[in-house]
Amino acid sequence: MTFPNILAGIFEGFGVTATVTFYGMLYAVPFAFGAGILQHFTRGWARLAVTAVIEFWRSSPVIITLFVMYYTLPSFGLTLSGMTVGAMALGLNIGGYGSQAVRAALQSLDKGQVEAGLALGLRRWEVLGLVELPQAFTAMLPSFVNQFIQLVKGTALVSLITLTDMTFRAKELSQLSYDPVGTYTGLLVAYFIVCYPATILGRMLERRVSTPARGLHDL
Amino acid sequence: MTFDVDFALSTLPFILKGLFTTLWVTVASALGASILGFVFEVLRRTSRVMGLLMRFVIDAIRSTPVLVQLYFLYFVLPFWGVVLPALVVGVIGLSVYYSGYLAEVFKAGIDAIPRGQTEAAKAIGLTRLDVIAFVIAPQMLRNIAAPMGNYFVSILKATPYLAVIAVPEMLGSALDIGSRTFRYAEPMLVVGAIFLVLAVAIGQGVRWLELRLLASAKR
Amino acid sequence: MTETVIPAVSLQGVTKKYGTFQALTNVSLTVAKGERVVICGPSGSGKSTLIRCINQLERHDGGKIIVDGAEIGAHGTRLPELRREVGMVFQHFNLFPHLTVLRNCTLALTRARKMPRAKAEEIAHHYLARVRIPEQADKFPSQLSGGQQQRVAIARALCMNPQVILFDEPTSALDPEMIKEVLDVMIDLAQGQMTMICVTHEMGFARKVADRVVFMDRGEIVEAAPPEDFFNSPQNERTRLFLGQIL
Ligand SMILES: Nc1ncnc2c1ncn2[C@@H]1O[C@H](COP(=O)(O)OP(=O)(O)O)[C@@H](O)[C@H]1O
Ligand SMILES: [Mg+2]
Repeated sequence: MTFPNILAGIFEGFGVTATVTFYGMLYAVPFAFGAGILQHFTRGWARLAVTAVIEFWRSSPVIITLFVMYYTLPSFGLTLSGMTVGAMALGLNIGGYGSQAVRAALQSLDKGQVEAGLALGLRRWEVLGLVELPQAFTAMLPSFVNQFIQLVKGTALVSLITLTDMTFRAKELSQLSYDPVGTYTGLLVAYFIVCYPATILGRMLERRVSTPARGLHDL
Repeated sequence: MTFDVDFALSTLPFILKGLFTTLWVTVASALGASILGFVFEVLRRTSRVMGLLMRFVIDAIRSTPVLVQLYFLYFVLPFWGVVLPALVVGVIGLSVYYSGYLAEVFKAGIDAIPRGQTEAAKAIGLTRLDVIAFVIAPQMLRNIAAPMGNYFVSILKATPYLAVIAVPEMLGSALDIGSRTFRYAEPMLVVGAIFLVLAVAIGQGVRWLELRLLASAKR
Repeated sequence: MTETVIPAVSLQGVTKKYGTFQALTNVSLTVAKGERVVICGPSGSGKSTLIRCINQLERHDGGKIIVDGAEIGAHGTRLPELRREVGMVFQHFNLFPHLTVLRNCTLALTRARKMPRAKAEEIAHHYLARVRIPEQADKFPSQLSGGQQQRVAIARALCMNPQVILFDEPTSALDPEMIKEVLDVMIDLAQGQMTMICVTHEMGFARKVADRVVFMDRGEIVEAAPPEDFFNSPQNERTRLFLGQIL
């Protein structure tokens, strides 16, 4: 098999990789905003509860939550498809990280912004939607892009629960062709092609929001 | 099949044997990733060409999944005549993957140091290595302890990936039990619980350290 | 006869604590419609706390606050409706940096008052002209000088057509050359019969437009008098001390 053939074979799994990513986002984005905003609003016990949920999804290694859900849920009578388990485990993990970007961005805004909105007679949720979130969004973006990359890369895990994504395809090809060098190089290249543009985008966004470096040290 | 608590508890000793490997791999990989990441970061600052080259290397590392990098090393190195124990391959894999992230942490840490520091150090006649060792590195460490600690937790949470290349850390041990007894739910939940406790505990430790450092920086 | 007229704002024995710290102690103050009150006093004396209680950016712990005849429930009932009747201008402007000057002014009109956008913009242009920056409507706050920003903030408050406007040291964050342009706008407002409660140390402004000057210290109103009396024959020792320091 020539290298382009191998790449083409691997990209047959791109549909699954993309689908898991997409469904993962459906869990990640609402969870990130929901949990981050709740954490921003709540105090005391309620905040502790929200934090516990976020920390659970953030602190558990995603490969472990994936396996635990895949192998354990059926014995509690809950049988979900591999796709659903993959999207949930990855999405909620990424969403947990995203929620911290949301909360941090909301909390870094000047308190006067909320006060000015309230003083004008806007309701609290209107202030959130019209004043806080639009301003915080720029600060969240670099983190969101980086989390998105983590999600795409994380989808390689679903090959372990029998979904035929790019990684799964590469393993098949490697066994067929007896060419591990070609196939695994091809697999690295495939993910690089998918993720590198996002990595570059993340860098650009980061440079835009971060304060300019103090010193360009030549060593 | 229902969940059997007694069986779950009976798997605990066997799985905890894997804990030693998990911790060992974490420490070795954290060290490897730090050294490699620091080398990348220093090289990045030696010349313009090296700067572009190293940035590309770092971005390429960050644009591919750790799972795929592990597969690559595990299947391709022997093909090139490099035969290493799976454990060593795993440590190399995690070191390479996280060096890409730690290099960025070091970059931010060095950028936060005023440029005059290197200039002053060169002006008093220090060699390049002395500038790095006695002026840049110590100041950098203060800036980066917290993000570095967070990446060490990430490395801990990535150790179960080594199960896919047959390293008997905790997840591998649990999968082992699963394949022998055809009961996956119990050992999986046990591993999940252990990782959660570990990650939360170490995460809190890092946070505590961060607060201490912040307090000492203010002094 | 005057007893039957509803005051714009009436505070009766208001107290406020931050934790165990007593920020306001038994504060009573009645501001009639069209009246202009200047509040002064040393830093930390509770001036901001007092006016922030009037629009409930801070909750008071005891006493009554009555705005336009309606008592503000301690449990914050219908606060948005109250706040639409009470404008506020902050020390640090607090303009919304992601919105144009015009949108800063129309935001609450369209959202809180459900006014059509065109009508709201008409009103905004009117008040931007009134604060003498009609040409800046399409700029973003960061493109304006501090004095211009504060005048936008005043226009933003005026757009809601409030019963009363609260000012919290509106000129203290400004460079000296910009203070006058903001004070001129405020004087203009005062002459237009707007009810104003103004925390400021601009004593020239107080002499010129205030009906009453209130002096606060340590969470209490120490003295309140028309400006001539207040400046020429202050009754209280603490007032004299304070005036000696700032005049
Ligand atoms: N949010 C708060 N929490 C605790 N103490 C506060 C808070 N806001 C104000 N204070 C305290 O209340 C006192 C009065 O503050 P403030 O009303 O801002 O004074 P002024 O505006 O007259 O300078 C000060 O001692 C201040 O430290
Ligand atoms: Mg104040």
